[in-house]
Amino acid sequence: MLTLFRQRTTSPRLERLHGLSLFVNLTPAELEIVDGLLHERSYLEGEVIFDEGEEGQAIYIIAAGEVLISRQEEIEADHAAQPGVNEHGAAYPRRRQGDTGLVARLGPGTFFGELALLDNSPRSAQARAATPCKLIVFFRDDFVSLLDTHARIASKISRQLACHLGARMRSMALAMSAHQHLV
Amino acid sequence: MSSIISNETAPPAGTAHAHHGSGPLVWAAIVASTCLLLLVFQKVLWLVVPFLLALILYYFLYPPVRTLIYRGMSRDGAASLVTALFLALVAVAGIALVPRLASQMTQWQDTVARYVQGGMQLLDGSLRSLEGHWPTLARARLADTVAERLTHGAGSITDHLEPVALGIMAWTPSLLLAPFLAFFFLRDGRRFKRFLSAAVPNAFFEKTLFLLHEIDRTARAYFQGLINLTILDTVTLAAGLWLLGIPGPLALGLICAVLAWIPYVGSILGGLLVVLVAATDFPGDPAMAYWAIGLFGVVRLLDDFLYMPMTIGKSLELHPLVTVLMIFVGGAVAGISGLMLVLPVLGVVMVIGETFGVIVTDQRLMARHRHALALSREHASRDL
Repeated sequence: MLTLFRQRTTSPRLERLHGLSLFVNLTPAELEIVDGLLHERSYLEGEVIFDEGEEGQAIYIIAAGEVLISRQEEIEADHAAQPGVNEHGAAYPRRRQGDTGLVARLGPGTFFGELALLDNSPRSAQARAATPCKLIVFFRDDFVSLLDTHARIASKISRQLACHLGARMRSMALAMSAHQHLV
Repeated sequence: MSSIISNETAPPAGTAHAHHGSGPLVWAAIVASTCLLLLVFQKVLWLVVPFLLALILYYFLYPPVRTLIYRGMSRDGAASLVTALFLALVAVAGIALVPRLASQMTQWQDTVARYVQGGMQLLDGSLRSLEGHWPTLARARLADTVAERLTHGAGSITDHLEPVALGIMAWTPSLLLAPFLAFFFLRDGRRFKRFLSAAVPNAFFEKTLFLLHEIDRTARAYFQGLINLTILDTVTLAAGLWLLGIPGPLALGLICAVLAWIPYVGSILGGLLVVLVAATDFPGDPAMAYWAIGLFGVVRLLDDFLYMPMTIGKSLELHPLVTVLMIFVGGAVAGISGLMLVLPVLGVVMVIGETFGVIVTDQRLMARHRHALALSREHASRDL
């Protein structure tokens, strides 16, 4: 009976999860609980993961490959800034995201779409696979039930999430001040 | 980065995914699918009944399993331990109760016969009283005719025991399936969910996850609603019976409330039970039986038009009118099994139908799926 509660050895899969920044503070037992809630998906190069404006239901963690985050309005702004690219004006066709409208290019271990864990507001950008990639998906309602049933695990994940968001806000603030300084 | 960009900007054309409410076509498909499923389920009741019991058991046993997992036990271990403990508890209760019940069997037979006799006397007395007021009924010898038919038609209690015993024997193997099914739900529920979602194309993945979550929520809400309904029925009936002075009000109220899980038919059985008890324990006071009938009628009305829409209907987020109408439709389509199954089946079909409607009518999602298929074909034939 006592052996059922003993410390478990970690599997390669759990080791890999432990290496992800979102789950870095979780113990093996906690990781196993979280692992039961995660889904794994494979995407081909160029495949859309989610669209801008779509209702967000999950956070995505990149296990392998790269993902492009881009915004439609920035593509349109770029089009408008280049006369002759589109002479018809408003009706731009949706394009495969290259450098145009690109917000970020994310690599393994990073995550995106994290605001979906907090609310169900529309996605503020599009995510598209830059290379063939494997993503780990954490569904919002599973996270919400984790808050009720395993508050300790959920608080550890929330803390990592908060740290991540704080770092991004600081880098954005720095970028904005640098831009104002140049202007 | 996606997360820190303001969400206030309007979604661009082609990416706006407004959630339209289900139209009449989707609702017609939902009702038709529910009726079709009820017809199919009626044919495989031997599987559907243990499956339903297993679901109830699953929602009952899930909290301790979850607690054990949190304490550090594996899911397999927790599911095995909790199921084993539950089965051990049932076995101990069975070992303790069966000899006691067996020894009282003869006494039970006498008790049942006494209550049936009490009911017959009440019916006879009521009919003779009616004959006294209505000469037409007296000329038709209504009381004698009914008494004769009941004596010949009802037979002895032993005649009824045989089919009941045979029915129990026939159902026992399939009912024994319930704890085993519940164990596998507890152990492999998440794997099954992942297995289902893995088969879904990427474009529909998030919507499907949401759908599976909603089905789980609907089933949980339904069974919790059923438990709330049973408590409300028990309390109301027990209070009424206690006010009338009928013995054992709580036990009678509970038995009637559990019988009411079968809409209408269960209620009639429950009402009959209360009237028999009132007529037998108060043989010289037929008014008591009439009061019991009145009380039961009021509770049934409360149950069908207030409690059920408030509990089960509310848990399924169904309009009270739809709840009542669908109960009638279920009964008409598949009899007693239809009455019992119509609401949980409708709840699940409703979630699937509405989500399917949203996916099929979302042109952007369909376009993304076609694009993914094209990429997949291109990838497969790249070096050819």
